[in-house]
Amino acid sequence: MSKRFEAASFWVFRLATYLIIAFAGLIFLEIGWKGGRVVFQSTAPFVNVPFLTESPESLHVLTLKNGETLQLGDRAYRDYLNKNGSDSIADEKSQVYAAGGIFPAIVGTVLLVAGSMVIAMTLGVITATYLSEYSRGGRAIVLIRLSIMNLAGVPSIVFGMWGYAMFVLLFKWNVSLLSGWFTLAFMVLPIVITGSEESLRAVPQGFREGSLALGATKWQTIYENVLPYALPGILTSSIMGVARIAGETAAIMFTAAYVVRDKLPWEVDKWTDFFFSGVMALPYHIFVVSARVPQNEYTEKVQYGSAFVFLFIVMLIALTSILLRIHVRKKFKW
Amino acid sequence: MSAKTDIKRLDQRPMHEAVLSKNKFRILGLSMDQIIHYFFFGNAWIAILVLGLITFSLFREGLGFFPQNYENLQMYRQCGLEFVDIIKDQAEAHSALTQYLDKMLDRKNGELRKGGMDEGKIAEATAPLAQFRKDFDESSIPLQDFVRELTQQAAAVKERWGVAKENSIAREQYLKAGSKDEAAKLEVETVDFRKESEALKAQIPRLVEINQTLKKRLGLLLLEFPASDDPKLKSQAVHFKAAAGKYINAFPDTERKLANWSYDTTIPVHETLTRFLFGPQWVTQSFWQDWYGMVPLFVGSLAVSVVALVIAVPLGVGAAVYINQVANIHEQNLIKPFIEFIAVIPSVVLGFFGVAILGTAIRDFSNGILFDPAWVAHLPAFIQWLPSGLNAAARTLTSWVPFFPISERLNIITAGILLALMGVPAIFTFSEDALNNVPKSYKEASFALGANRLQTILRILIPASLSGIISAVLLGFGRVIGETMVVLLCAGNRIQIPDFTQGLGFIFQPVHTMTGLVAQEIPEVVKNSLQYRALFMLAIMLFLISLLINYIAQVFVRKFKISVG
Repeated sequence: MSKRFEAASFWVFRLATYLIIAFAGLIFLEIGWKGGRVVFQSTAPFVNVPFLTESPESLHVLTLKNGETLQLGDRAYRDYLNKNGSDSIADEKSQVYAAGGIFPAIVGTVLLVAGSMVIAMTLGVITATYLSEYSRGGRAIVLIRLSIMNLAGVPSIVFGMWGYAMFVLLFKWNVSLLSGWFTLAFMVLPIVITGSEESLRAVPQGFREGSLALGATKWQTIYENVLPYALPGILTSSIMGVARIAGETAAIMFTAAYVVRDKLPWEVDKWTDFFFSGVMALPYHIFVVSARVPQNEYTEKVQYGSAFVFLFIVMLIALTSILLRIHVRKKFKW
Repeated sequence: MSAKTDIKRLDQRPMHEAVLSKNKFRILGLSMDQIIHYFFFGNAWIAILVLGLITFSLFREGLGFFPQNYENLQMYRQCGLEFVDIIKDQAEAHSALTQYLDKMLDRKNGELRKGGMDEGKIAEATAPLAQFRKDFDESSIPLQDFVRELTQQAAAVKERWGVAKENSIAREQYLKAGSKDEAAKLEVETVDFRKESEALKAQIPRLVEINQTLKKRLGLLLLEFPASDDPKLKSQAVHFKAAAGKYINAFPDTERKLANWSYDTTIPVHETLTRFLFGPQWVTQSFWQDWYGMVPLFVGSLAVSVVALVIAVPLGVGAAVYINQVANIHEQNLIKPFIEFIAVIPSVVLGFFGVAILGTAIRDFSNGILFDPAWVAHLPAFIQWLPSGLNAAARTLTSWVPFFPISERLNIITAGILLALMGVPAIFTFSEDALNNVPKSYKEASFALGANRLQTILRILIPASLSGIISAVLLGFGRVIGETMVVLLCAGNRIQIPDFTQGLGFIFQPVHTMTGLVAQEIPEVVKNSLQYRALFMLAIMLFLISLLINYIAQVFVRKFKISVG
């Protein structure tokens, strides 16, 4: 009786686990299936190149008087009008963002993530090194740790508001790459610090003692004998941070992201404009096309397509992190 | 001897130090190592600095809300909007009663329709009640006209005040810029609030007259309330009559309130804070009056988070127990990374899934549609029986659920389910850690005493790791309440306190949340306006809430940690 009860209870736990997996799997499948059909094709080159390399455009759906329907992007639509005039069109509808591709959004996301990671890694690794190698306790350290812990719990929208108030308005950087970089960097800083500190602490004490005993200075010890061994671990934790900020929308909504920007980020008049103008970003693009555009057969392509590409990129980053961690654990055994 | 003095001249430090010291290089008396040390130390302060800056800039933008809102409230009184709102309350009480009658009618109609009666006969059967409803509604027409008139009157005063204020600001700017002619051109009217309020108060006798007629009319009308055999309808009628009596008896109250009202009673200063914290309305850019009360948003955030936690906690903790104690090593190696994977699904993608699939699916299911009939029709005929059969089963099943069918696609439950999925990885990971941290000897001792695995888990392991599990739940809660994109996309964005009188049915209503509102309104708002500052106040509240949750979680970990030994 109690044996059976025990088994039944375990089945309840098992059910909980597999319910989570099933629901998440449902999401992956749904987006993978519908988005995959947008991004991949059955004919060569098997990848929907225009979708990945063009800018977003409005889609014009034309019903011609002879009963034909045409789906044209902005440019094709203008060409069509120039060539044929508007006489042959019986009915036309247009859907914003539903044609073209998402190239500027992909580029913007990559730029945002890369820049903020550079900032966050620099600050984070230095802080972590201090906390793990130099600090000897005391009030200041308690305060620092408390701040880091609290910073990790601050909602991303609050970071967004802060970035908006400070970088966009106070520093007058406007909605720009730079504002976004700093907002995202400080958001991910706690993750990088805690992750890096853990991998620094994982380096055996003997390494440090050996180095110091041979007459190396503290800095030489850290630089030559601690950081190199901790670096793979630091990278692993940082990549997790990359995945986190790549997916972040609320923080860049009013600090860095434009709904539409036709030009690519580096197509600017002065080189400094590169830093001071906003970019399109995949998460914000997905938000725009799912919140401000109706769900129908015409918009489905851009909605599922961008969600798929985005999910794919983020998953790739996370997978890299997981694989790297397995590799590191195998490589370093002390 | 001379060689020794030479050395001394080169380096004045004692011999042992000069030989043993590794750093000969110094700036400002600091060795290189010390400089590096201080550099790293300074850098570590960045976390504190950022936290301080966040606090500072949020408060810098947000605190201006209070004086600005005070002025806003003062104008509400001085321009007489408050006066009109007292009468409006009465008119609203009237329409609430009408709505109650509508509900009675709807229910009766629905019942008759279910009974298979045709539409003509239904109309005939409910005609007396419908007629009564119509009469009751029409009796309020004079009152409504009166309210409309006064509304225009008061709104005009506020409009004039607004223009005068804009002009005075413009004039000051001109004066500052030195262009006196331009400044002189701008006329700034001084609104005489006393005169305006007297004009309003002069209308009280008219209201008294309207109320007297209304009272007589309703008194007669209530006597004619159509009788019915339906017991439910009878009890509703009793309830309605009682409510209507209360409503009529409140007329003198309204009149007294109006007589006592004065445009220049000062508003207590703390009211601007209490009205923000406990105000039941969030109304912006209205021609009438803007209200900034965070209660509907806070309740919305809380409702969504609680629903999410109710789903996520059993799943997350259950999965943690399963993976930690029951599953074999292969399952562990597969499931743990998978749940970590769930954590990186971007919230906007989840939100999109909610908008595109989940919301519609829940609504369809509530209507008894498990599979889209159009989709079923596409299937080959020999397999169609399966989805059709399931659809029929869903129909019978859902007809028993009390709140079904639901009309809103985006509501608390849609957002809650997705937020639960976001909360699960955090809860799972931290709970698993907590379970892992329980000393092995506890488990061994339990087995040695003859307990089975389930008993060990429930009586030993979970209690021992409870502090960790609670803080895991709290951290999950923090993550869920601060989440923006999912609620912005899926919670329905209606600024209203959900109707809890329906019990559990509240989860099918749309709400707006603190995070969602901030994200929605910031791009459109004018900088430094009252609304802009109100949004920053919301951000401050969110910031404080997250700090509080974090703090409690830490206390739980520190205080209730089982001593390992």
